[in-house]
Amino acid sequence: MLRHLFKLIWNKKGTHSLLIIEVWAAFMVLFGVLTLIVFNLRNYLQPIGFQYEQVWNLELSSNQDTTEIASKLQRAMQRVRSYSEVIAASRMSNNTPFSASQIGNSVTYNKVDVGADFYYTDSQLAKVLDLPLKKGRWYADADQVGKFIPIVINQVMEDKLFQNESGLNKVIKRDDKTVYKVVGIVDKFKAKGQFMSDTPGLFQILEKNDRWNSNILIKTKPGTDANFEARLVKDIAMMLPGWGVEVGYLKDSRKNRENLTLVPVLIFLIISGFLLTNVALGLFGVLNLNIAKRKGEIGLRRAMGATEAKVTGQFLGEIWVLATFSLIIGLIFAVQFPLMNVFDLDKEIYIIAILAAVAVIYIIVTLCAWFPSKLAAAIHPAVALHEE
Amino acid sequence: MGYGLSKNMDHGLWSMVKIPNRSNTNPQTPNTMLSNYIKIAWKVLLRHPFYTFITLFGITLTLTVLMVVTSFLDHLFGPHYPENKRNRSLYIATIMQTDSANTTMSTGPASFDFLTKYAKSLKSPERVAIMSNFTFSNAYTNGKRIKLNTKYTDVDFWSVADFEFLEGKPYDDTNVRNADHVAVITDALRDQYFGSDAETVVGKTIDIENINYRVVGVVKGSPPTRIYTYSDVYFPYTSPKSNYEQKGIRGRFVAIVLAKNSSELPAVQAEFQSFVARIPKSEYSNDKRFNVLIVKADTYFDHFLSMFTRSEKDRLALYAIVGLVLLMIMGLPAVNLVNVNISRILDRASEIGVRKAFGAPSKALLWQFIIENVFITFIGGAFALILTLAVIYFINSSGWIAYADLTINLPVFVTSILVCLVFGLLSGVLPAFRMSRLKIAEALKV
Repeated sequence: MLRHLFKLIWNKKGTHSLLIIEVWAAFMVLFGVLTLIVFNLRNYLQPIGFQYEQVWNLELSSNQDTTEIASKLQRAMQRVRSYSEVIAASRMSNNTPFSASQIGNSVTYNKVDVGADFYYTDSQLAKVLDLPLKKGRWYADADQVGKFIPIVINQVMEDKLFQNESGLNKVIKRDDKTVYKVVGIVDKFKAKGQFMSDTPGLFQILEKNDRWNSNILIKTKPGTDANFEARLVKDIAMMLPGWGVEVGYLKDSRKNRENLTLVPVLIFLIISGFLLTNVALGLFGVLNLNIAKRKGEIGLRRAMGATEAKVTGQFLGEIWVLATFSLIIGLIFAVQFPLMNVFDLDKEIYIIAILAAVAVIYIIVTLCAWFPSKLAAAIHPAVALHEE
Repeated sequence: MGYGLSKNMDHGLWSMVKIPNRSNTNPQTPNTMLSNYIKIAWKVLLRHPFYTFITLFGITLTLTVLMVVTSFLDHLFGPHYPENKRNRSLYIATIMQTDSANTTMSTGPASFDFLTKYAKSLKSPERVAIMSNFTFSNAYTNGKRIKLNTKYTDVDFWSVADFEFLEGKPYDDTNVRNADHVAVITDALRDQYFGSDAETVVGKTIDIENINYRVVGVVKGSPPTRIYTYSDVYFPYTSPKSNYEQKGIRGRFVAIVLAKNSSELPAVQAEFQSFVARIPKSEYSNDKRFNVLIVKADTYFDHFLSMFTRSEKDRLALYAIVGLVLLMIMGLPAVNLVNVNISRILDRASEIGVRKAFGAPSKALLWQFIIENVFITFIGGAFALILTLAVIYFINSSGWIAYADLTINLPVFVTSILVCLVFGLLSGVLPAFRMSRLKIAEALKV
């Protein structure tokens, strides 16, 4: 049966070549879009790991002021903590959650090298962002006196750096001068929002006299409004003349950040949705014409005793063989992506996308062939043969 | 659907046979011939509404995507308010410090000092404006927070960018020299801060980060996609917090160099490069780490591309990827169209046979099919135009981009019509050519 179908297709390869190209192109488009969707969906399904609803980001910039920056920052910090509206506040490097900045570096343990996002914060960050510790504890100011710099890492970092061991209390190196000790492990910290993949991250305690990292994350009490914000900005601006003072809400920056991912995906989704509708309609039209042309053959087969289901089955079989041809060509292209590790994506993403694309193509061609073949098969043999 | 075929075919044949007959009574002018072809095309389209729909759907979809994309690209790169002179502007926006082996690099905007020394002093351009990249700030009024973007500029900024002043005027050299606390604001900020019923705001003060600025002018706002001119508030560069005093070559400033006309752009670029070549090494490489300095005065498009691509190779890769995506988006409907057309034209073989039997030459048949396809493509083009207008209107009014001014302008429309024609001919000529060469007996037999 299958060989017969192959023969049928092969005999008319000229007419079918365009159909094959079309199904192939549809597969490639689907594969591309599905890769994008699977990648983002997998990221989306993982929680970001912290709370941001009530958190503000106060950005200070010293501008032309160069004197006693560190102590001025400390005074500003004390001031912020003194308000009754503030639950907790923490200093952080400028790669605050949902911001565009990134700080990357790599660390080594046992000859394993892992690149990670570095976040420089003080002892209060876990409290401000409600970041639950999975193991160990968050670093405290008292840790500063120790020999090693205390750090907290996330779960992915632990898995990658220590393989199967526990990372707690291990000593790792950034370079010969900087040596860290892991004091705690958090589960997830997807600082760039829901659509960020869960990548290695590392929190390092800020030095007491740090003067470069001037962002302050503030967790406010629920119901705190712009009136307090205006007071805060005014007070800080008075304290620090000439400095830039800017307040942003993390929930706003999260929205902006996620739209950067969401909008392109949506645009691709809409366009490819239309493209596939277009292909489906075209396929339906072509198959409709092709099958209608073979009325005589259908009449003959029906007269010889083939059931309606058998005739429908033959046409479906033909289109499946045709689709399989196109998909084999498509797969030759598509498997290059996981094989050559294009774009550094997880192989699993490509495989899921390929499988989903294959399934969708089969569903589309089946739907497009089923209706015309059903109609054609239902024709009475006498009528069909009479026309011939 | 295909089963009403024979009945419809009769009707189609009728009109087909009738029209040549009628035209025989009149002397055939090219004009009546054309209108005959169009009449035939119209009848053919109505004969199978479903296939007409498929064809139109493909054409409309492709053209709409193409037109919206070009319109958006035009919005990004074309000369529009307030950067109307973009065609003769060069942007000095990033300085790259690297070493000869390209192992470490650091990029960012320039300092005010650097731009004054090496851009402002250029002889060939008409004018050079220096402005800071926009920064964020907040203003508070009646317990409400207004998010602001602020920008520090020199006086030339107002001649390089064509802002429309709704009230007042820009700050001048005296304001800059005296470091006056003055500001030019946009209409959107005026409405938010002073209320939309305020009659005149020039002379009033606005409190930003605890400093009171006197408003000297109100301009019509511009979209944030034009990042070098976009802001909500503009201050003279001598205002507090602008950091123009900063030493070194890196800072937060950008220059727009306005050439006298677009043909002089290469000359201006050459002059700037000769200036850059003369910068002493001690100014940018004090720790031996960054001994190569790359700074260019680029047209906006080149500058934009160089933000994503560091090298020629990257740029080629980018072109390849964009080309591939476009090819897929355009190619798929095209293949689909050709496919449907070929299937349909086989379906019409007997009609061709009858026409040939009645003495129509191959050329006439070929013309009929070409015109039929061009006709349907133009209908699709018209639909696409309407749809594009709707999409653009939606984007403009949705507030995704403040002050969005996407338009269908002449070049975009002409491109679309040309693409329209290519599509019509691609999907029309190929099958029609094959058909018109069919032998009468063969055609009638099918």
